[in-house]
Amino acid sequence: MKTQSQSKDKHINFLKKLRESATIRIALILLVLCVFLAIAEGKAFLTNENLLSVFRQFSFIGIMAIGECLVIITGGIDLSVGSIFAFSGVIGSLAMTSWGLGFILGLIVGLVAGAGFGLINGLLITKLKLPPFIATLGTMSIARGLSYAVTKGYPVSDMPDAFKFIGQGHILGIPAPIILLIIVTIIIGIFLHLTITGRRIFAIGGNEEASRVSGISVKKEKILVYTLCGLLAGLAGLATAARLNVAQSTAGAGSEMDAIAAVIIGGASLSGGVGNVAGPILGAAIMGVLRNGLVLMSVSAYWQQTVIGIVIIVAVTIDKMRYEKL
Amino acid sequence: MKKLVSIVLCLILLVGIVVSCSKKEEKAEETEKAKETEKAEETEKAKETEKAEETEKAKETEKAEEATEDKSGDEEIVIAVVPKALDNAVFLDTKQAAEEKAAELGFSLIWTASQKSDAAEQVNVIEGLIEKKVDGMLISCNDADALKDVIDRAVDAGIVVATFDSDSPESKRNFYIGTNNYTLGEVSAQKMMEYLPDGGKIAILTGVPGMPNLETRIEGFTDTAAGSNLEILPVQAGDCDTQKSVDVITQFTLANPDLAGWWLVGVWPTLADPEAIPELANFSDKGGVTVSVDAVWPQLAYVERGIIDVLVGQDFSAMGSQGVDALYKLIKNEEVDLGGDEKYIDTGYILVDENNIEEIKAVTPEW
Repeated sequence: MKTQSQSKDKHINFLKKLRESATIRIALILLVLCVFLAIAEGKAFLTNENLLSVFRQFSFIGIMAIGECLVIITGGIDLSVGSIFAFSGVIGSLAMTSWGLGFILGLIVGLVAGAGFGLINGLLITKLKLPPFIATLGTMSIARGLSYAVTKGYPVSDMPDAFKFIGQGHILGIPAPIILLIIVTIIIGIFLHLTITGRRIFAIGGNEEASRVSGISVKKEKILVYTLCGLLAGLAGLATAARLNVAQSTAGAGSEMDAIAAVIIGGASLSGGVGNVAGPILGAAIMGVLRNGLVLMSVSAYWQQTVIGIVIIVAVTIDKMRYEKL
Repeated sequence: MKKLVSIVLCLILLVGIVVSCSKKEEKAEETEKAKETEKAEETEKAKETEKAEETEKAKETEKAEEATEDKSGDEEIVIAVVPKALDNAVFLDTKQAAEEKAAELGFSLIWTASQKSDAAEQVNVIEGLIEKKVDGMLISCNDADALKDVIDRAVDAGIVVATFDSDSPESKRNFYIGTNNYTLGEVSAQKMMEYLPDGGKIAILTGVPGMPNLETRIEGFTDTAAGSNLEILPVQAGDCDTQKSVDVITQFTLANPDLAGWWLVGVWPTLADPEAIPELANFSDKGGVTVSVDAVWPQLAYVERGIIDVLVGQDFSAMGSQGVDALYKLIKNEEVDLGGDEKYIDTGYILVDENNIEEIKAVTPEW
C-alpha cells in the first residue's frame, strides 16, 4: 500500500515536473506546428527532402543560438554574433583561397577569429566593465566593418572540397550541418549541465553578487562564455560559407536577432539564470518550421513577416499563460 | 592602471581617426592597382600592422598624389560616386568601371556610402561631400523623395549632381543614367513566355519586399504576363540574403512539383555556388525554366551549366563609366548628350543565354 502511494507520488511529481518544464512546453508548441503543417501541407511538408532542408536551414542559426544561450544564462547579451558569423566566414575562406593555407589551417584561422572577437567582448565587459549591450554593439560594428574592409565587398568563393563538405556533404544520408549541430549540442550540453563550470554559469546569471561572494571567479567564467559564443558564431559562419561555397561580408546581417529570439522562445530568460541547451534549438526549429510552412503554403512574401511575428507572440503567450495562470 | 588604459584608448581613437581620414585620400592610388594584388596584399597583413602600414602608405600616397596632381592640371576635379550601400555586391562593377574612367581621364574619384541601404544615412554621406566641396556626384538613391532636398542643396552649392541605377526625378539633378526597371520585368516576362509557350505556374523570388526598384520590376513582369497562360504564384522573398534566398528556392521548388518557371528578381541566390542549390539544377533538368535579372560574374556559371536559361542584365559598368564621363564633361563645360529633354541616359539591358555566354564572359569583370 505504502509503495503504491509512493510510486503514485513519484508519478505525479514526474508529471508536474514535465508540465513545468519550459523545454517540454516549447517542444509541444513545435509539435503542434508540425502536426498542423502535416495536415495542411502533408505531402510537401513530410517529404524527406523538405524535412532535411528545414533542419539544415535552422542548424546554422541553432549553432549560433547555443552560444548566445550561454551568454544570456549569465544575464548578458551578445549582439555581435551576426557580424562575427560574417567575419569568421570571410577570414577563414580567404585563408583557404587567397592565402593558400589549405583547409585545416583556414578553418582554424576562421575559428580563432571568432573566438578572438568573443574574447574581446569578454574583456571589454569584465575588465573595462562596459555593459554587454554596448560592448557587443561596438564589436558588432567592428567585425562587420573588418569583413567589408578585407573583402572590399567582393564575395570569396572557390573553397576546397574538404571544406565544402562541412556545409554540403552528407553522412549516412544526413546533411553535415545537422551532424555539426548535434555534436555542438552534445558538447555544450555536457559542459553546461554536467560540469562545475556549467553550474557556475547558472549561478552567475541567478545572482552575480552572491556568486562572487561565494568564491566564483565571475570574470573568468564570463570571459569563457563570451569566447565560446564567438567561437560558435564563427563556426556557424564557416559552415554557411561552406554550404554556399561563398563567403560574404554581408552574411548573417540581422541574424543576431534570430539567435536571441531562438534563445528566448526556447524558454531562457533575458534576466539570466534560466535556460538549457535544448531551448535555443527548439526556438530555432520553431522559426525554421514556421518559415518553411509559409513557403509551402505559398503565403505571399508581403505577409510572411507579419504572420511570423503573430505566431511567435501567440505561441509564447499561450505558453506563459499555462505556466503562470495569467 | 586606469590611466594607462585611458591613454591606450585615446591612442586607439587617434590612430583610428587618422587611418579613416587618410583612407579616403587613398582612393586614387587604389584605382591603379589590380584587384587581385590588392586583395592578396591586404589579406596577408596582420590587423595591427595593417593599420600602421596603411597610415604610412596613406601619407606616401598623399605625397605622390600632390606630385601627380601638379602635372595633370586637373587637380580641382573630384567626383564622388555614392551607391545605395557598401554591402550591395551589384555595385562592384560600377566601382571598377568608374575607377578605370577616373584613371583614364585623370580626375580623382571618391567611392563612398553607408554600409547598409538607408536613406537617412545616405543624406548624411552626401552632406559630408557637400562640405568637402567635391565637383561632381553620382548617386544611386535609396529613396527618391528623401534624397530630393539634399540633392537640391548640392546643386545650389554649385556641385554637378547626377543619379544612377535609382533616380530622384523631382530633384534638381542634372541627369539620370540607368536601366528602366519596368523594362527589366517586361523583358523577363516576354522571355518566360517565349521559353514556356504552353504556360504554367511561375514562382517569383524578390529581395526585400517593398524596395521601389524591385517592385517596379515585378510590376513590369506581372503587367506583361497578365492575360497570358502564365499563372503567377504569390511572390516569395529572400531578404536580399544569399542563404535565405537559397533556402526559399529549395523549399518552394520541392513544395511545388508542378512549377514551370522561376523568375529571380535579383542576383542574391545565384551568388552561391550552383552546387549549393541542387534543387534548382534538378528543376532545370526536368524542363523547368529560370529567368534571372542581373548579369554579374557568379551568375554566368549558372548559364554555362544550363541552370539559368536567360539573364536580363543591367549594365552596371556602363552606369559607372558613362556616368562619371558625362559628369566630368559637364564640370569641364564640354559638350555632352544627356539623353534629350528627359535627361535620362538609358544604359539598356543585356540578354545572356547559351548562345552568347562566351562573348559575355570575355567582357564581364571577373570577381
